[in-house]
Amino acid sequence: MRYDAAIIGAGAEGLAAAALLAASGVKTIVVERSERAGGRATTREFHPGFRASPFVDELPPIPADIHWALDLSRRGAIFRPAPVSSAIWPNRQNVLRRGDASSVHRFLGAATERASDIRAHAAREIDNAPRHSFFPLFKAQPAPASWPGEGWMASSLGEVLAREIGDPDTAAHLAAAALNGRTADPLVTGSALHLSTLDSSGAVTGGLGRLADALIAAAREAGAELFLGRDATDIRHAKGRVTGVGLADGSAIEARAVISTLDLKRTFLSFFQWNALPKEIVHAVGNFRMAGATARVLLALDTALSSAVDRRGAIHVSPDLGDLAEANSAWRTGTIAPRLPMTLRVVSAADPMLAPSGQAVVTVTLGAVPYRLFDGAWTREKRDVLRRQALAALEMAMPGAGAHVIAADVIAPPDIEEALGATDGDLAGGELAADQMSSAWPDFPYPRCPLKGLYLAGSWLAMSATCAAGAAAARTVTADLTSGKLK
Amino acid sequence: MSADAIVVGAGVNGLVAATYLAQAGRKVVVLEAKDRLGGACRTASFASGFQGPTLAHALYALDPRAVAELKLARRGLKFAVRDMPLVLLRADGKHLVIGRDVRAAARAIAVHSRADAEVWPRFRRELFDLARAMRPFWWDEAGKKMPAAIGMLHRLGLAAWLDSQFESDAVKAALAGDAAPLSPLAPGSSLLLVWRAAQEMCGLQGASAIPLGGPGALIDALTAAAKIAGVEFRTGVHVSDILMKDGAAAGTVLDSGDEIAASLVLASFSRRQLLATRAGRAAFGFSQAAELERSVPAAASAKVLLALNTPPAFGGIAVPLRGRFVLADRVETFVTAHAAARAGRLPEELPMEIVFPTVGDPALAPLGQHVVSIRIAPLPRHVTGGWDAARLAAKAIAALDRCASGLARHVTAAQVLTPDDIAAGAEDECVESVERMLSHWPSRIRTPIDGLFLCGAASEPVGAVSGRAGRIAAALALREAAR
Repeated sequence: MRYDAAIIGAGAEGLAAAALLAASGVKTIVVERSERAGGRATTREFHPGFRASPFVDELPPIPADIHWALDLSRRGAIFRPAPVSSAIWPNRQNVLRRGDASSVHRFLGAATERASDIRAHAAREIDNAPRHSFFPLFKAQPAPASWPGEGWMASSLGEVLAREIGDPDTAAHLAAAALNGRTADPLVTGSALHLSTLDSSGAVTGGLGRLADALIAAAREAGAELFLGRDATDIRHAKGRVTGVGLADGSAIEARAVISTLDLKRTFLSFFQWNALPKEIVHAVGNFRMAGATARVLLALDTALSSAVDRRGAIHVSPDLGDLAEANSAWRTGTIAPRLPMTLRVVSAADPMLAPSGQAVVTVTLGAVPYRLFDGAWTREKRDVLRRQALAALEMAMPGAGAHVIAADVIAPPDIEEALGATDGDLAGGELAADQMSSAWPDFPYPRCPLKGLYLAGSWLAMSATCAAGAAAARTVTADLTSGKLK
Repeated sequence: MSADAIVVGAGVNGLVAATYLAQAGRKVVVLEAKDRLGGACRTASFASGFQGPTLAHALYALDPRAVAELKLARRGLKFAVRDMPLVLLRADGKHLVIGRDVRAAARAIAVHSRADAEVWPRFRRELFDLARAMRPFWWDEAGKKMPAAIGMLHRLGLAAWLDSQFESDAVKAALAGDAAPLSPLAPGSSLLLVWRAAQEMCGLQGASAIPLGGPGALIDALTAAAKIAGVEFRTGVHVSDILMKDGAAAGTVLDSGDEIAASLVLASFSRRQLLATRAGRAAFGFSQAAELERSVPAAASAKVLLALNTPPAFGGIAVPLRGRFVLADRVETFVTAHAAARAGRLPEELPMEIVFPTVGDPALAPLGQHVVSIRIAPLPRHVTGGWDAARLAAKAIAALDRCASGLARHVTAAQVLTPDDIAAGAEDECVESVERMLSHWPSRIRTPIDGLFLCGAASEPVGAVSGRAGRIAAALALREAAR
């Protein structure tokens, strides 16, 4: 089997890359370990009649040009940002509504702008590549004098929020939103970088699985092949350039370009023999910091919930900067903090298709949950700790709801690693720190890497836009194929 | 009354600045709010027959140029300990001694990890090379450009840097102790380690030393140099404002209402303290003032001095008592302590640096008895319910007792300075940050007021007993006055 491009992983990035490559005439195949394509963008029935997206509820938006190029609206993937976000404490709450013309939203707008500057800065090199197909992914911008994230790098999340927001409740609310499902010490310099994730993420009506379906349709229609249930085991290479992908059944796919949508560590440390790789790659990848911090609890309830808070958006439970800092330091030592940062979403309130009528689905996203526990493996008892904390949060947000829980599914960091192939269950694909925000190899800006023919397209490369990393890789591969670099 | 130059604050930097100005032929008056000179450097009696360093207990950043140019050795500055090995104390007796001898250090590290022992010589060489490359930038006003060698290090937290080099908790914790002012997770903490390695004491790079007679002896030598140069001292006078004339500093106003006229004013203030004066408030723009007024969640420290009626003894691997001892299990001890400090809680494990001043200088205690000097940092600035000195001391002694068993029984007296006591003694709060470490000397020393310069520890790239800010501020002031 000979292809122009082989893509490892059929998540949103892999599917978008496949669709865009195939549409520009590149012979493309996608290899996916699981029987179902979608990656993070899946929706699963976790209890008869109750469905939820197990790993994330929302994804960052797809840039308009990609959305248009893949014709996703017609295929039924409609992004729906949550209209509201709340934070609740035992005796008070703080609510932010989308579109309020307040200083908070001015701040959010500025933060989003800065995040896109950081993205554009990282993409500038890519943009310099000759353009042969589709559309300008990133607007060409004059080179900024310094790295646009410099200001955030030198301040802490708590400090920026205190300065820009003032109201401590709103500040704690935004800190919890920025750290949602991750962990960082919000009082340590540099944690302000997490503001770059405060973006207008959205859910997809019918669950994120709809997005996967739309992307699969787009890829298939464009002529890309999907190889499901096939486990890629190694990336073949000779004389410093990639020649194809080896599969678990012993067969191989020959390809001039290989796009990996897995994270940096997984790509290099599990698809290659270390001693066969150039030393600078092993060194850079070995030092890249990844660690999962997310756990999820999916709850099925036999009643439609009523509550004092607006249930159409995220509900952050008792956020407090000090607690976030302490949860982070517990996380670093491999312990489960007594008060984990938690975010509730009544996903069935915004999307009734997810639960039987008159019943409800609530997801709880827990942050600062260590992948490795200091006292051993993730046993049933330890999962129960997460379940109990999640139920306590539910009871606090919606008094009386605890009695109606008929099923609870706990997804711990190792489960996320198992299901998505994310190293250490790290959904973000690496610690968000200033030194990790540019390419690990100064001479090879992402999506390229020092190994000719290998491209990176994991969602971690463009964390505030879905499909952007896949599209960037597709564009670079098309350019390299047509310019003869991969002869 | 009038003078050519006024120096506010008689700490090390103030004394250095005053001496340089006087040597350049200026009539200099030093104004000190307290009744004694010295600021953070002081040797005082804390129990009958026992003397100890009140705050700073080891010097590691003294400006070699100031030491030579002010001829401090001739004014009586001698060192009791010239190069203190770094000792990490562990409850299991596997103490780690890292001295100047790279091979001996590697052998000691091999007890914890063979891989780390192999890495150590290269890591130390690279750290010291990088640190030397940074010296022009940190040592002299002329160093304008940040050396390219620093690369991405200023964006890297120390925990991440050490994790990429070493595997054993012991080595990482020992090194993290030198960058304790910042959380090991914060960018800039790596730079703190480099800054520390860039310093020089007694001609040795990255050394720590104790003057004979304690840190107070440094002040005595500096005072002698200043007096010989003709500096005039006034103690017990509190400066309340800067006297302004035609938009430039023209002297100082004292609490008593008296005014002292001078065309140059060098103040050991931080920018925040300057803002507390009327002239400072008028000179800073609104946004700058708001920036400065923002409360900074600074970690504080505490100081404990113990009198011991026996030489300290540690079980396990032999340790040199002239070393500086770090008590921390791993890097996370500092991470957790910083998190707890900012949340206003006392951390479970107190990260401590311990020095035995009497080992090099037996005159500080009665014969055969010893002084233990403990610095606890980071700690919260305030705790709910206020600081309990006795509890803090008990906790520190208990932690030390775990490594030197039986030590607690030999403590005959203790003096505790809680963060409150330290704040009351020296109002200057130093907040370390990447920006401060990577900004230029003139930007830290100059103020919006012509003729007013900041020469205190807050103008150093990193707060420490150094004198460098005093020397550079004096040079800058003289040059600008000549214009």
